[in-house]
Amino acid sequence: MTWIIILIVVAVLVLFVIGIYNNLVKLRNNRENAFADIDVQLKQRYDLVPQLVATVKGYATHEKELLEAVTVARSAAVNASSIDDKIAADNMLTSALSGLKVTLEAYPDLKANQNFLQLQGELSDIENKLAAVRRFFNSATRELNNAVQTFPGNILAGMFGFHKESMYEIEASERAAVEKAPEIKF
Amino acid sequence: MQYVGIQTQIAKNNWNSIVLLLMFPCIILGMLWVFCCIFGYQTAYDYYSNEQYSYFNWDFVNEAWVSLAPWAIAIVAIWLGIAYLFNAQMIQHATGAKPLERRENPRIYNIVENLCMSCGMPMPKINIVNDPQLNAFASGINQKTYTVTLTTGIINLLDDEELAGVVAHELTHIRNRDTRVLIVSIVFVGILSTVLTLLTRGVLRYFLWGGGGSRRSGKNNGGAGIIVVVIVAIVCAAIAYFLTLLTRFAISRKREFMADAGGAELTRNPRALASALRKISANPGLGHVNREDVAQLFIIHPQKLKQGFLDSLTSMFSSHPNTQERIRILEQF
Repeated sequence: MTWIIILIVVAVLVLFVIGIYNNLVKLRNNRENAFADIDVQLKQRYDLVPQLVATVKGYATHEKELLEAVTVARSAAVNASSIDDKIAADNMLTSALSGLKVTLEAYPDLKANQNFLQLQGELSDIENKLAAVRRFFNSATRELNNAVQTFPGNILAGMFGFHKESMYEIEASERAAVEKAPEIKF
Repeated sequence: MQYVGIQTQIAKNNWNSIVLLLMFPCIILGMLWVFCCIFGYQTAYDYYSNEQYSYFNWDFVNEAWVSLAPWAIAIVAIWLGIAYLFNAQMIQHATGAKPLERRENPRIYNIVENLCMSCGMPMPKINIVNDPQLNAFASGINQKTYTVTLTTGIINLLDDEELAGVVAHELTHIRNRDTRVLIVSIVFVGILSTVLTLLTRGVLRYFLWGGGGSRRSGKNNGGAGIIVVVIVAIVCAAIAYFLTLLTRFAISRKREFMADAGGAELTRNPRALASALRKISANPGLGHVNREDVAQLFIIHPQKLKQGFLDSLTSMFSSHPNTQERIRILEQF
């Protein structure tokens, strides 16, 4: 009789462990999926930049250096290999683009151009989308971290090779630069 | 009021949908039995005392019920099938909504798309209703049919942040599967109230115009007939009460607060939603939609909908909390 009870208890425990493991796997995959989604948005942005440069070139002939800066930043971002390089290049591209946007305010002909307006709309939409997927990435990370750190998952997580993951955060060195208000030069 | 987490809410809503679905055939069969009882009141001839007497023939009732029940089940199954397949079109037709593509209105599309991306939710369809009143609702029972509907009034009068708050509120309803429970209950209440209306009309006609053989004999039956009518009326009232219980079972104030909370969390901007609610409460409603149960779907329940016998019963258990209360809770952050 005790045989059967022990068997049942062991079976329940095994099922419990399987449940926890599967949940952790799902959460980790969710997080990787979210990270890949960020790349999707970044790629869309990189694809839009040449179109933007081409549209602007005809109108803003004086802004050659600015346009070149944007193009260079874009190639750097596309060719970046490590994650840190990617983030750094991406930040450079963001600041180059916002600098370009501010400077282009002075060109009324350009602002009347339908193509340009549409591209600008698309670019700002991509910025919003990037923010949205980063937020989702952070909540996926949070869920994974919760599962890995709360009891009883934390006992098993170490065994199965799950650990606390990092959020999408700005590096400490760059935080100072980002938190400063952007410079507007005329 | 007890706040529960999202997973609990979703599970509860799924459970409620299933219970509603199961209760439905039971109630229909019950009503069928009551209907059979009407005809169970029969007269027979007593050979010993040489007069007619009336009695209640239970056997007849039960036999009639057993032979009619499969038909009733079949009709209900077909009706449910139609509702399942076409609920989206029915709601579209009832509200006059048209689907929206990205190039028609990128502003709206982007708002919805970005909000879905920030919580990893697949995007629902978007419908627009050409109506100056401000309203928004979510509907749909599965991923294929999930829809967020907005009026042109609300699109034009709210700014981007407020609109994002409203859309986030509706998306939370979809996430929580609130729409599933609501649509299941709307379909049932609709069917049941139609059947009830048919029944009461049919029964009244039967007694007023005196159809059927057992009515032929004279004032004896006349007096008894009126009593039966009264009993039937009481039974119908009981059934109507049942319906209100059903509807109340399906709706709950908690869900609106949860949707407000979910929307505020999604946009990280509760004040935008609060200001949107303020603007909407000035002019809520939707065109010619007068059904109280459909109005449960709306973001703000228009107060002027008080039509019909059933509606006045269900309004006692109104699902939408006070708009002022909702605004206050949102703004305290």
